[in-house]
Amino acid sequence: MSKIILPKRLEKYRYIGKNTIRHDGIAKVTGKLKYAYDIYLPGMLYGRILKSPYPHARVKKIDTSEAEKMGAVVVTFKDVPRKKFNIRLVSVDEVNYKDWEVLTDHPKFVGEYIAAVAAETEELAQKALEAIKIEWEVYEPLLDPLESMTPGKPKIHDKILFGQREVEVKNNIACTKEYVEGDPDRAFKEADIVIERVFKTNRRYHMQLEPKVAVVRPEPDGGVTIWTTTQTIHNTKILVSQVFDIPMSKVNVIKLPIGGSFGSSIQTNLVVLVAVALALKARRPVRIALTREEDILDHHSYQMIFKVRVAAKKDGTIIAGELENIMDIGAHQIQAYPLLGTALGWFVSLYKWKNIRYKGIAVYTNKTPSCAFRGYGNPQVTWAVETVIDELAEKLGIDPLELRLKNYVGRGDIFWGQGPTVKSVIRSDGVPELIRKGAELIGWDKRPKPGSQKGRYRRGIGVARGFHTSGAGGPLSGEVIDYTGAIIKVNEDGTIDYITALQDHGGGTLDAHAKIIAEELGVPLKSINIVWADTRTTLYDVCTHASRGVYVGGEAARRAARIVKQKLLEYAARILGDIATPEGLRIEPDEELGQGVIYVEGSPEKRITVGEVARIAWQRNWGSIAAAVSYRSYAAPPAFTVYFVEVEVDTETGIVRPVRVVAGADIGTVVNPDLAAGQIHGGFAQGWGMATLEDLPYDPETGELMNRGFITDYKVVTAPDMPKLDDFIVIFADTEEPTGPLGAKGIGEAAKNPVAAAVANAIYNAIGVRFYELPITPEKILKALKEKGEIKE
Amino acid sequence: MVKTVVIKPKVDINKVNTHILPVDFEYYEPRTLRELVELLDKLGPSAKILAGGTDLLVQIKQRAVEPKYVVNIKKVRELDFIEDRGDYLAIGAVTRLRAIEKNSLIAEKFTALHEAVRAMAGVQIRNMATIGGNLCNASPAADTAPPLMVFDAELKIVGPGYEKVIPITQFFKGPKKTVLKYNEVLAEIRIPYPKPPTGSAFIKIARTAMDLAKVNVAVALRVDEDDYIRWIRVTLGSVAPTPVRARSVEEELIDKRFSEEIVRKASRLVVNDISPITDIRSTAEYRREVSKVIVRDALLIAYKRVRGV
Ligand SMILES: Cc1cc2nc3c(=O)[nH]c(=O)nc-3n(C[C@H](O)[C@H](O)[C@H](O)COP(=O)(O)OP(=O)(O)OC[C@H]3O[C@@H](n4cnc5c(N)ncnc54)[C@H](O)[C@@H]3O)c2cc1C
Repeated sequence: MSKIILPKRLEKYRYIGKNTIRHDGIAKVTGKLKYAYDIYLPGMLYGRILKSPYPHARVKKIDTSEAEKMGAVVVTFKDVPRKKFNIRLVSVDEVNYKDWEVLTDHPKFVGEYIAAVAAETEELAQKALEAIKIEWEVYEPLLDPLESMTPGKPKIHDKILFGQREVEVKNNIACTKEYVEGDPDRAFKEADIVIERVFKTNRRYHMQLEPKVAVVRPEPDGGVTIWTTTQTIHNTKILVSQVFDIPMSKVNVIKLPIGGSFGSSIQTNLVVLVAVALALKARRPVRIALTREEDILDHHSYQMIFKVRVAAKKDGTIIAGELENIMDIGAHQIQAYPLLGTALGWFVSLYKWKNIRYKGIAVYTNKTPSCAFRGYGNPQVTWAVETVIDELAEKLGIDPLELRLKNYVGRGDIFWGQGPTVKSVIRSDGVPELIRKGAELIGWDKRPKPGSQKGRYRRGIGVARGFHTSGAGGPLSGEVIDYTGAIIKVNEDGTIDYITALQDHGGGTLDAHAKIIAEELGVPLKSINIVWADTRTTLYDVCTHASRGVYVGGEAARRAARIVKQKLLEYAARILGDIATPEGLRIEPDEELGQGVIYVEGSPEKRITVGEVARIAWQRNWGSIAAAVSYRSYAAPPAFTVYFVEVEVDTETGIVRPVRVVAGADIGTVVNPDLAAGQIHGGFAQGWGMATLEDLPYDPETGELMNRGFITDYKVVTAPDMPKLDDFIVIFADTEEPTGPLGAKGIGEAAKNPVAAAVANAIYNAIGVRFYELPITPEKILKALKEKGEIKE
Repeated sequence: MVKTVVIKPKVDINKVNTHILPVDFEYYEPRTLRELVELLDKLGPSAKILAGGTDLLVQIKQRAVEPKYVVNIKKVRELDFIEDRGDYLAIGAVTRLRAIEKNSLIAEKFTALHEAVRAMAGVQIRNMATIGGNLCNASPAADTAPPLMVFDAELKIVGPGYEKVIPITQFFKGPKKTVLKYNEVLAEIRIPYPKPPTGSAFIKIARTAMDLAKVNVAVALRVDEDDYIRWIRVTLGSVAPTPVRARSVEEELIDKRFSEEIVRKASRLVVNDISPITDIRSTAEYRREVSKVIVRDALLIAYKRVRGV
C-alpha cells in the first residue's frame, strides 16, 4: 500500500481529509462516463484534417474537386475567416500575441492544418482527404532555436498581432522579457563563490489519455453547440465567437469529463475551430477526433536552454542570481510571452537572490507549437536551479538542506510565482517540517559521499525542493485573467445542486469542491450533486490550470455555501419559531437520513431537516434557497514540495532505477488524501520520465519528428518502472492556508516540479557525475562513466 | 529570403489513420491448413496473413503495408497447440504468447523462452499476439527469436502440397524478411529438449518495462560435473539485421571450465558477432557496450540454473 502521513489537525473535519468515493467513480470504472469521443449525434458527419507534411511550405494550388465528388464537404484556408488570433485567452488582450489561423496556406510545422473534409463515415472522410491535391513550395526548415534567432535566417512569421497592434517579427524572436533588481554586477564582484552553468531541457509530449476531440452542431439560429476536450468551456465559447463572429449567447460549450490534459487544453485546441468551420458549411453536426498520431503533432512542452549564474558568500548566503532563458516555442505562440514572465517568477520565488538579472527570449522554430505542460516551465527552471544549489552546497561544504533552508523564499516573503504582475505574501509554509521529516525517513545523514562508491550498482540519495502557485490571483488585476464562479441551489427535498464551469481533469477537483461544500454547510456529502453544465448556465471560469482548481474554485464554492447556509438558517428560525437569532442554529449531517439537520445549540430537541426547510420554503412560496458567487482570489499561495529520492545506477548498463521516494507536500488542508497522494505519485512518474526518458528529436532532413508521430517511440514510464508502493512515502505538512478554502492550496503541478532535479541530484550522489542536458539516458550515463575512466574493458 | 528545397517526408501523415483500417481489402477465414495454403497460392503475393494482428494491423494503420487480401489464420485450429512429442516440444504457430507464458513445461525446460515472452508487451497484447507472428514479422528485435535459436528450434513450413522443416537459424533474411514464399506458412515450431543439466536465461534492455529491445540476449549452456562447458548457445537480437548467434563467444567458451573470469573475457568477444546501428531507441555504441554486459550476466544466471542455485 502507498504510505501517506497526514497531519492530526485534519481529524476535526467530517469529510475533509477523509478518503471518499468519487462522484463519477462508478461511471468511470464501468465505462459509462461519456467523454467527447463518445458523443454521437443524429446526422453527424466525420471530419478529417489535411495536415502539412512539410515543416515550412506554401500551398501554390489546392484542388478539392475529387473529394467533393465523393460527397465530402471540404473547407480550406479560403473558406475560413482570415484573421489572426491566439488560441489561448488567459492573458489580457493587450499582451496577447496572435499568430494563428484556423487553416493556412503557409504551414510552419509538420502537422499544421491546411484543409478539412467531412463525410458520412470516417472511412469516406479518409478517402476524400487523400483525394485532395496540393501543389507545394517547400522551404528549408529551422529546427534549432539558436540557429533560428541568428540574423539573416529565413522568416517563419512576418507580421503578427500584439493585442490589436500589428508587429513585425525580427530574427524569428517571438517575444522577450528582461528584468533587473538590485545591482547584480556588484554582487558578483563581491561574491566569495560564483557558479555558472548551461542547461538544456527536453521537448516532451503530454501523452494525456484522451486525444483531442471536437463535436460541433450548427443550430437553426446561426449558433453552434460544442462538445470538446477542454480545460475551459468559457474561453472556448469566447474564441469561437471572436473568430466566427457569432454572438456569445449563440455559442454553447457543453462541459464534459476529460481524460487528462496536463495543460494541453488550456488553449482551445484548433480542432474545435476546424470542426466549427466544417459544421457551418455542412449545416450538419461534425465530429473530429484526433488520432494519437495527430495529437502528438499538436502540442509539446517548451524546450528551454538556460544559463544560470549564482553568487554566494562563504557562509552560504546567496547574494545574486542570473537566469538567461532561451525558449524554443515551435511555430506559434500559445503562452510564450506570459511564460517569459512566469519562468522569471519561478526563478525569483525559489531563493532570495537579492540581486537579480533575467533575460528571456522566445524563439520560433518550424516545430510543433509548445504549450504548458504540468508545471508551465517550473520543472525546467527548478531542475536547473536545484542542480546549481546542490553544487553550491558541495563547494561551500554546507549541507544542501541547510543551504536551502537558509536561502529559500518562505513565510512572510513576497511570492510571485506567476510572474511579475501576480504578487502576494506567503502566509503558510511547511518547508522546514518537510525537510526535517523527509531527511529522517530517507536516512539523509547516511547518504554516501558523491563518487565514493566502487561496485557495479551504486545508490545515491538526492533532494530537491520547489513549489507551484495555487492559481494566478493577486491584489492587482495584472496581465492574467483569474476568477471563477459557483452556483449552489437547494432542491425542494434538501438535496443540493452545485453548478460550476470549472473543469475536473480527472484528478477529483470537483469531489474536493463537494467536500468543501458539505463541510461548510454541514450536510452529507452524498446530498451534493455536481451538475454537468455548459457555458449558458454557468458563471465565467477562466480555466482549470495553474493548480487553481481546489484553491480558487473550492473557495468560490465555499462562499456560495456560506450564503446558502445563512438562508437555510433564517428559514429554519422562521419555521422553528421562538428563535432569537439564527446565529444560535447549527447544521449537522445525518448520514442515515441523507440530510443535514438544523438544531438549536443547547436545545437539540428543537430541530428540523434541511429537506423539511426546503419543502416548506417551496410550499409557502418563500422562493429558492440559492447563491451565485463570482470570485477572484487576492493571493496565489505556493504549494511547496520537497522530494527525497534514492536511485540505483547500474554502472555497466547506465540504467537508473528509482529505489525509494519520500515526497513531502505542503498543500495546506488536505481535502482528498488519496487523490492528493495520487497526484504526487503521478507527478513523480512524469518527473522521472522528464529526467531519464522523454524527448522529441526532429529529423534534420525532413523536419518530421524522429518517431514519425508514433508512440511506439515515445515512451512514458509505466507502473513497473516506478518504485514499489511500500517504498514511496508521501508526507503532508501540517499547515493551513488562511486564504484558501478551509485552509487548502493546490497540488497538481507542485507534485512534479522538483522531481527531475531530485533525480539528477541523486544520480550525482551515486556516481559523481552531473548532467546538464535532459533526459539523462543510460546512453549518456554510460558514455560519461567511460570518459571518467570508470568502465574498464 | 527563404530557400526552396526538396523534402521527401518519411511518413505521409495524411494517410495514417489509426482509428480505422484505412485500406480496402478482401478478408478470408480459412478453417484448415490445406485451405489456407491453397488460398494463399490462389491470391498471390498481395495477400497478407493475419494472426494476432498486433504487428500487421499497426502496419496497415501506418500505411507501411497495404494488402489487397487479408487471410486470418487464427481460425485454423490445428495450428493452435503446445504438445510434448517426446524428443521435442511442438508449438503451433498461432499459439498465443499468453499460453506460452502460462505453460509450466516451457517455464521449466525452456526458461529463456518463458522469460522472453514474459518480457513482451502487456497482458492485453500477449492475449492476442502469436509466436508465429513474432517470428514471421522478422523484426530484428523480436523477443522470441533469440531463445528459440539457443534451443536449436526447427520450423515446420507448409506450402501448397508440401511441407519442410528448417533450422530457425536459416529463417531470417533481414529486417522484415524471412525465407517464406507468399504461398507458404509457418505451421509449427519444434524445440528439442536439451540434455540435462542445462540452464538458460533471457535478458532484455529497453527504455521502459513495456518496450521493444535496445538489445536482447538469450543463452543456454550445459556443464559437466567438473564444470566444463559441454554445450553453449548465445544469441542476440536488435544488434544486427537479424537475430544473431554470438559464435565467437560460444567458441571461446566451449570445453572450458566455467568461471566468472573466463565468462567475463569471452563475453567481450560478442562485438565480433554483432553490427548494431544507431536509431531512435539507442546508439550503436551503447548497444555494443551493453551486449557484452548482458551476455555475461545471462551466462552467469544460466550457470546458476544448471547448478540449481
Ligand atoms: C503494444 C505492443 C507491444 C509489443 N511489445 C513487443 C515486445 O516486447 N517484443 C516483441 O518482440 N514484440 C512486441 N510487439 C510486437 C508484436 O506484438 C509481436 O511481434 C507479436 O508476436 C506478433 O504476433 P501477431 O500474432 O500479432 O502477428 P501479426 O501481426 O498477425 O503478424 C505479423 C506478421 O507475421 C505474418 N504472419 C503471422 N503468422 C504467420 C504464419 N503462421 N505464417 C506466415 N506468416 C505469418 C503476418 O502476415 C505479418 O506480416 C508489441 C506490439 C505491440 C502492439
